[in-house]
Amino acid sequence: MKTAAPTTPRWPALPRPRQIVVVLIISVLIAWVTTPVFQSPFWLVLRRTTFISMVMLLAFTVSGTWRLLWLPRWIPHWLVRVAAVCLLAPFASLAAYVAIAGSFMNFIKANNLLSGFATSTIFALFFGPLVAVAAIKREDKQRERADRLQLELEKNALEREVLDARLRLLQAQIEPHFLFNTLANVQALVEAGSENAAPVLRHLIAYLRAAMPRLNDAEATLENEMQLVSAYLEIMHMRMPDRLQFELRLAPELKSLRFPAMAMLTLVENAVRHGIDPSTEGGRIEVGGKQDANNMVTLWVADTGIGMAETAVPGTGLTNVKARLQACFGKDARVDLHEQTPHGLRVELIFHPGAKV
Amino acid sequence: MKQITALIADDEPLLREHLRSNLARLWPELHIIDEARNGREAVEMFDIHQPDIVFLDVHMPGLNGIEAARSIARRAHIVFFTAYEQYAVQAFEQGALDYLVKPIIEARLADTITRLQQRLKQTTDTSPSYEALLDRMASDMRQRSPKTNYLQWIKASVGNSVRLIPVEQIAFLRSDDKYTLVAWEGGDALIRKSIRELSDELDPDRFAQTHRSVIVNLHYVSEVTRGMNETAELHIRGRPDVLPVSRSYLHLFRQM
Repeated sequence: MKTAAPTTPRWPALPRPRQIVVVLIISVLIAWVTTPVFQSPFWLVLRRTTFISMVMLLAFTVSGTWRLLWLPRWIPHWLVRVAAVCLLAPFASLAAYVAIAGSFMNFIKANNLLSGFATSTIFALFFGPLVAVAAIKREDKQRERADRLQLELEKNALEREVLDARLRLLQAQIEPHFLFNTLANVQALVEAGSENAAPVLRHLIAYLRAAMPRLNDAEATLENEMQLVSAYLEIMHMRMPDRLQFELRLAPELKSLRFPAMAMLTLVENAVRHGIDPSTEGGRIEVGGKQDANNMVTLWVADTGIGMAETAVPGTGLTNVKARLQACFGKDARVDLHEQTPHGLRVELIFHPGAKV
Repeated sequence: MKQITALIADDEPLLREHLRSNLARLWPELHIIDEARNGREAVEMFDIHQPDIVFLDVHMPGLNGIEAARSIARRAHIVFFTAYEQYAVQAFEQGALDYLVKPIIEARLADTITRLQQRLKQTTDTSPSYEALLDRMASDMRQRSPKTNYLQWIKASVGNSVRLIPVEQIAFLRSDDKYTLVAWEGGDALIRKSIRELSDELDPDRFAQTHRSVIVNLHYVSEVTRGMNETAELHIRGRPDVLPVSRSYLHLFRQM
């Protein structure tokens, strides 16, 4: 089952310490390289550069968590971030120079400050986007790696599910209640000298042989499965002749299809146990399979029993069937449940036999 | 002397027949007055015939053997029989009740017959805790079928059939005019049940009402974005829908 926890909402985020350190180092480098261009000493250039780059970093991180819904969809998000960085550059530069001049009027009057402002803005506009693009590339790469890791995790989870299903299959035992009740019936037939004793015993043997735990069900086909289903239903019909009717209608071309053993039987046992057996009138079970023009296979188990309550907790059987079906025929394989009129349940297995995991 | 009568109740006809023929052989004086196919029939037939002994299968449709025995109470000697209800067998032994295990072994049936014949001579019968024991067993059996009070499936008309949609596959439910839209992994469906009814019936650990007209499956929320005026919007995994969160439900997402 997919049960990813809701991810945390992204409110506007502040720069991380790591980002601040990196930008500080870049600022020192830029200041060192550009000091000869300015008339100011290194430490002043450094202070100015650091201030401007910190403002631009803030623009970068804040814009990263924006969701600009009014923006046309074709504008990529990285462009928005670079634009935000560029937009803030002249303002940050202006603020720095006004601070140096003491007031805006002093700044306007001082020619050397004006030209310094122009130069530093140009530098900011040159280095800012460069660093921003590099940072975005890095972020993308990290996200990609996280996605890959997530995918890997999901794959592992699926593999574990298949393994679990196999283990459960190994542990799956023949229900003692079923076995002893059936044996009681066989005993009754034998003691009464009935000619039905032999065929019932034959069905029971077929069922027991198929239901024995096995490790490898690689060679199991749908035909084997239908024989098992048939043996089970014959036994149940003998036990409750007035309450259970059944019909098998598998399209002949599906007989050789590879199919996870016991999957259909699980559905049929459910139909008897939860649909027919609790009903005093009983009902009818139809088991079938067909393939459509697009090669999609639909297998179904339909009963006219008591149906299912909306509060009925799904059993492990159904979950197990779905996991094994998807392990065999890929993630698109489905288990659909329909209510029958006037009552009863129809379970369909729908999958593409060519699809591989 | 009055003839001793018995009633047999089992949902499997071959087993009724088998018990009847075994009894005929081992206790020819016993008159099998009727056979019942389920617990309800057993109680009805008991009221009509008033037999001395009732053979009751534990596992029967409608009314099970334990429940039928509670209705019959002490008006007859009851012999339970069962194929493999280990817990039931233990309870029978503790309560000193008569029981048989299927398939029936002749020697065991003969023992039971001897004990029944002795008990029929006594006027006082069975232990004083008889009713309490049956009550406890009946409630044990009810608990054996797992049920919750929360919806596990939603019935929705899709095309010309009624689908049973597992609730864990539902992303959200939204009221849509007269109907409620069910958005799930297999597509969209409309149902008649209202959001208000659904919010009472769905498991609150998984589903939360976030708006007058919206219930969302928390496992499907991919992102929460804050909006104007103390509201928020929910983004749903694998779907383009954006769902509103109104002010009174915002607290659900505050700490996230």
